[in-house]
Amino acid sequence: MMMRPPLPGSLRLRFLLAITLWVVLGVGAIWFSAVGIFRTHVERSYHEELEVHVRELGRLTALAPDGRIVLTRPLSDPRYEEPLSGFYWQVTADGRAPLKSGSMTRGSLDEHIAHSPEILHTLDNGPTGPAITYGFTRTGPRGEDIHFVIATDQRELDRLVNSFTRDLTLWLVGLGALLLATGLAIIGFGLHPLDRLSRAIGRLRQGEAVELEGRYPVEIAPLAADLNAYIRQNSDMIARARVQAGNLAHSLRTPLAIITDEAERLAERPDSAAAGQVLLDQAGAMEQQIEYQLARARSSAGQPASGRTTRLPDVALPILKAMERLHPGKHFRLAVGGCSGTALPVDPVDYAELLSILLDNAGKWASAEVVLAFTCAADGAITATISDDGPGIPAPELARVFDLGVRLDPAVPGSGLGLAIARDLAATLGLRLDLTNRAQGLMAEVRFTP
Amino acid sequence: MRLLLVEDDVELGRRLSERLRAADFAVELATSRSVAEDWPDVDQLGAIILDLGLPDGDGLDLVRHWRGVRVETPIVILTARGSWQDKVEGLNAGADDFVVKPVRFEELLARLNAQFRRQHGSRSPAIAAGDLRLDPLARTVELAGQGLALSRQEFRLLHLFMRRAGQVLSQADIMDDLYELDRERELNTVEVLVGRLRRKIGRGRITTLRGMGYRFER
Repeated sequence: MMMRPPLPGSLRLRFLLAITLWVVLGVGAIWFSAVGIFRTHVERSYHEELEVHVRELGRLTALAPDGRIVLTRPLSDPRYEEPLSGFYWQVTADGRAPLKSGSMTRGSLDEHIAHSPEILHTLDNGPTGPAITYGFTRTGPRGEDIHFVIATDQRELDRLVNSFTRDLTLWLVGLGALLLATGLAIIGFGLHPLDRLSRAIGRLRQGEAVELEGRYPVEIAPLAADLNAYIRQNSDMIARARVQAGNLAHSLRTPLAIITDEAERLAERPDSAAAGQVLLDQAGAMEQQIEYQLARARSSAGQPASGRTTRLPDVALPILKAMERLHPGKHFRLAVGGCSGTALPVDPVDYAELLSILLDNAGKWASAEVVLAFTCAADGAITATISDDGPGIPAPELARVFDLGVRLDPAVPGSGLGLAIARDLAATLGLRLDLTNRAQGLMAEVRFTP
Repeated sequence: MRLLLVEDDVELGRRLSERLRAADFAVELATSRSVAEDWPDVDQLGAIILDLGLPDGDGLDLVRHWRGVRVETPIVILTARGSWQDKVEGLNAGADDFVVKPVRFEELLARLNAQFRRQHGSRSPAIAAGDLRLDPLARTVELAGQGLALSRQEFRLLHLFMRRAGQVLSQADIMDDLYELDRERELNTVEVLVGRLRRKIGRGRITTLRGMGYRFER
């Protein structure tokens, strides 16, 4: 399984750093301890061996009848006979020719190191460099001191320790790499539920799921459960807000319809025409405010929420069917482009409301045809264009058509609020809404940029 | 023409009925879904004006029910629900138009007349037969270019005849269109009315078919 490189600030990076530090410290401590123990052990063995050898040298040394110092037989370790092998011995006595090991083809050992019947040792210069030297003295037949000295090059000890250290280092590096690999595998295994959670959130964002799916370990299960509860609560709240907005509309609009009717009656009578007209104007203003503020309330309820996406082009199909009924004689055409099945991450109710307003507006002005076209770009941008073959909007009017209550032709039914509501809806949904004149007709463009 | 107004708010229902009657419609008023659903002759009505928020059910279900039993009477939804979600649902359920309260009566009348025109395949609100021309919106009648003064009932009868020119209309058909169901009906009223209309528009335009009824000649 290929592992993704950990991102800065991620749990994966934190675990990786902690494990790396732990492995480096652990392996380093093992290295230092093992090298130290090994050196101590080797040194102790060397010293014991040299002590044995110097005792053996003492035992094997004898004085010949002619007074020469001789060995009754060679030392048991043959390295004392190989030239410059690093293993040397020497026996000296006043007035007698010194006896040296076959290995010491040059130089000599310092006899003064052996100055006591007790075996003493020190680090001294030998024929081939620093040497660990052991020695003791014995009294000869003439009362003279016989000096027994034996030495081994320090480099022999260093070579052994270095060889061990090299092998140990290689082994520990291998162990460290293995531990790190195991650590990475443990991180991957341990964090797998979080990866699943991340993918579940991705599906939620894409609208492929309405809540976090899957079972999670007990440590994060409450988080997933709380998130699902929050999503449900949010959806319920939006639904309730919409119902309440609808109820408010109903409770206000029916009395307002009666007031409007009474105002119309007053306006029709010569003696109360002026009062009736004032009432009609004010009732109209109230109606505009109710419609506008309720539309705002509905769209505010649909603020971006997890899992709320709009599936293209499904959202448009019932609207286009309704528009064909609402604007008989006008043809409403859909061009899906490459957007079939695309999930637009905006609230579907609000997006449908926005498309409905723009399609109804286009239907009112179109001569024969309205085209709704979706375009999906490679960078994730999704554009809906609504084009009609009507007269378009005179350039000076284009800037103010989004203002509240602006009606370009009072003969065309409408409240003059549609485009103002569309503008607010687009802003709430994070969409860009533009109107442009075409060669013939108007084009509204609703653009989503990721 | 006879309309069914389904409106649970008593005051608004009364006012709209008055207005519609003043505009020469016969108006039946239903204040609940159950009454509207059991209405005996919905397919004989000129149009249905339907509120959605009814005390005993949703008006949308009524639309679906009527369309399900092949009632083709134009349905105009008149409701306080103003969202496009409601409008799209209403229109796709089978309503022909969707009007949000409050609405100026002239606009409601215009939307109703648009439905009548659509039903008869005409784009102009005026109906013509020879040199006779009737404008239901302006409520005027012209004969050979000259204005003709008709009473309210005469106008409604002529409107019915011209909408269904060439068809035989029985006295009951005419009564159903001109009067609400609960009004007292006297059949000779129709004879009197037809006689008066003949005198004003010319005798040859309306033919009496004995035992069957009347036919307005195209």
